[in-house]
Amino acid sequence: MKLRFDDDVEAFRAEFVAFLEANRPSLEEMAAEPSLSTGHMPGWLRRWTRTLFDHGWLVPGWPPELGGRNASSIETLVYMEELTRHRVPRHANVQGLAIIAPSIIDYGTPEQVEQYAMPILRGELTACLGMSEPGAGSDLAALSCKAVLEGDEWVISGQKVWTSGANYADFCFLFCRTDPTATKHKGISIVLVPMDAPGITVRPLPEIVHPDEPDLNEVFLDEVRVPAGNLVGGLNNGWAMANGSLAHERGMVWVTAVMGLEAAVAWLLELAPSYVAPMGPVERALAVDEIVGIAIDTEAARCLGYRGFAKLARGGTAPEQALMKLYASDCRQQVARIAAEVQGADALGIGVIPNDGQLAVDEPRGTWLEQYFQSFANTISAGTSEIQRNIIAERVLGLPRG
Amino acid sequence: MDFEFTDDQLALLDGARSVLASACPPALVRSVHDGQSGDGPAGLWSTLCELDWPGIAVAESSGGLGLGFVEAGIVTEELGRVAAPVPWISTVMQYGSVLRLSGDAARLAAVASGSVTGTFAVAEGGRWEPAAVRTTAVPAADGSGGWVLSGTKSHVLDGATAGEIAVVARAEVGLGVFAVPGGAAGLSATPIDVIDPTQPVANLRFDDVAVGADGVLVAPGDPGVDDLLARALDESTVAVTLSTVAACRTIFEMTVQYAKDREQFGRPIGSFQAVKHRLADCFLAVERASALAWFAALTIAEDDPRRSLATSMAKSAAGDCQRLLSKDGLQLHGGVGFTWEHDLHFWLKRAVAGELLFGTSTWHRARVAELLGLHMDWIGSAS
Repeated sequence: MKLRFDDDVEAFRAEFVAFLEANRPSLEEMAAEPSLSTGHMPGWLRRWTRTLFDHGWLVPGWPPELGGRNASSIETLVYMEELTRHRVPRHANVQGLAIIAPSIIDYGTPEQVEQYAMPILRGELTACLGMSEPGAGSDLAALSCKAVLEGDEWVISGQKVWTSGANYADFCFLFCRTDPTATKHKGISIVLVPMDAPGITVRPLPEIVHPDEPDLNEVFLDEVRVPAGNLVGGLNNGWAMANGSLAHERGMVWVTAVMGLEAAVAWLLELAPSYVAPMGPVERALAVDEIVGIAIDTEAARCLGYRGFAKLARGGTAPEQALMKLYASDCRQQVARIAAEVQGADALGIGVIPNDGQLAVDEPRGTWLEQYFQSFANTISAGTSEIQRNIIAERVLGLPRG
Repeated sequence: MDFEFTDDQLALLDGARSVLASACPPALVRSVHDGQSGDGPAGLWSTLCELDWPGIAVAESSGGLGLGFVEAGIVTEELGRVAAPVPWISTVMQYGSVLRLSGDAARLAAVASGSVTGTFAVAEGGRWEPAAVRTTAVPAADGSGGWVLSGTKSHVLDGATAGEIAVVARAEVGLGVFAVPGGAAGLSATPIDVIDPTQPVANLRFDDVAVGADGVLVAPGDPGVDDLLARALDESTVAVTLSTVAACRTIFEMTVQYAKDREQFGRPIGSFQAVKHRLADCFLAVERASALAWFAALTIAEDDPRRSLATSMAKSAAGDCQRLLSKDGLQLHGGVGFTWEHDLHFWLKRAVAGELLFGTSTWHRARVAELLGLHMDWIGSAS
């Protein structure tokens, strides 16, 4: 146990920081052409992703041919810390980089890797993840979008919803039912579907804040035809892949969440004195208590993350990882609410962005109230907080399924 | 930040857990609660001394094991897990800390050898901040360099049984710290009949208690006294925090097991989502408090400037944790957890008592506010 990593890890950090400072896109460049969705790569970001890939800094834990440098998990952790601290994205298409490309690399054919996965890593293509449906949210295995093999083509019909980035993505990593007679977990396959294929309609779903920049979409598929060779990882093997390969870098996702939380709390602490100063003593004590509470929560999230990581690095199981999504997403919601309440009626305005540029790039942005509403994305998507509690109870604590 | 225990630390943890499983069974804790402990607790303390644990963080030159605060924390946590009725926190984590910080190698060697127990008398009138100290220290009239102490200390852990007491008292030139034997003339201890007899406290009254020059641990007027007191209080606080969270973890593990075993409506109550979600939240509370407690322990071990902030955050989180675990642990056990015969109450009481020692969550949150620059001067001094 120690507060600092070993010297060789710190040397790795210094090497990456030097690279970042010499090559990173400028804040002006980033602000001039923002990414509009997780499927949208502005020109500067395409170039930056390619630079990271070429220099082995895109996913350091991977081998050089995949844009990495065979870094250890601790080295990957300090890489994440610095990337977040410098507020530079490595890719807009987080689902493509973190889930879809690695899944294709693990389970796909060499042709699929060449045609779909590598272009994501080089910043040339983006992909969306076709999972949720109107009738299959938390119960993902209940999905009904169906794919039927006709000759050498899959014919796909159905509807997806909450599909992030589908409005800009080049292809979809689509979960569909290929055996309607099997039990629900066993009849699911994954098919790669170009988003410009005839029969696909994408309808963006403007969100409760920033409605002009939707990331979520409905995707309608009406007898969409793709080659039989677009099946990934074997027929009816989709559920196993959903539970296996989606875990790439899972031990690290908390870094961005925690550092975003730290940035938000730092901003709250900067803002707070001018708002609490005119309060009467009791009101002030009550307000300060809430601020202290979220500051403690933030420190706890950081410690929980590092502790879970330490267990994971040692090869053990890491229950903290299962807790991090539940906890960090709730904290993110709390800090926005508390900050808005500290601001009082001043928090009503929208269109002013008092803290823009203070947050990690893929964190909630805008005014505190806008961030508050936006933060529900984190407590709802990728398994709601309620689902997370079930997972903790059943898989970590070993309580019987209901 | 590397939160991984080293192999040696893991070996210490496993060894401590295994020793305590047989040396401190629930039956021993029950005997203390029943007021019929006999020689049981003394025997357990002898076992700890034979393992040289009281000297765990004492330099080898003073007869200790030469390890650090993390190792001391590991033992503290394991003792909390089994609600051990021994003067560990008072002797090792309080008195031992004061002696180490004040550089009293001789007294420290006595603690390390297990030949003396000790404690730290700082609080007065239920207030833990040194600013609240009103006990006086007056130079001895004989010019020997000794002092005379008068006043009353409250809530001294193991105060009625400690062999030696480090007493904070105020002289004209400022605060000092003095070592007073438990049986000193003019010292009277009033044990309080507390809800958790495994963590007994006493009020101590000093009526012109004479301390020789060799009993001065920190002389009044020493410019380092504020820093030393802050460090000693932080070490005490982190120790009771680790112990409290450990008691909460025991409550948690007992409750999860109960939820798996207890059947109603033809199935284990742990299969109901209302129970599952509460236990998931309990798990989060324990892990959250434990992570913060270990971060605080690390800041002490490495003398990091974040020490006081980390300590008060950890104590506050331990408070949140015991609040939830004592509530849901008892509630989910139902009627059986409400009985004296069930063991659960040993840990419920240990956890709740831990919240009230060395500053409540509220006290520590006020200190966090100060350290974060959200000054709360209208509440009074809280540093």
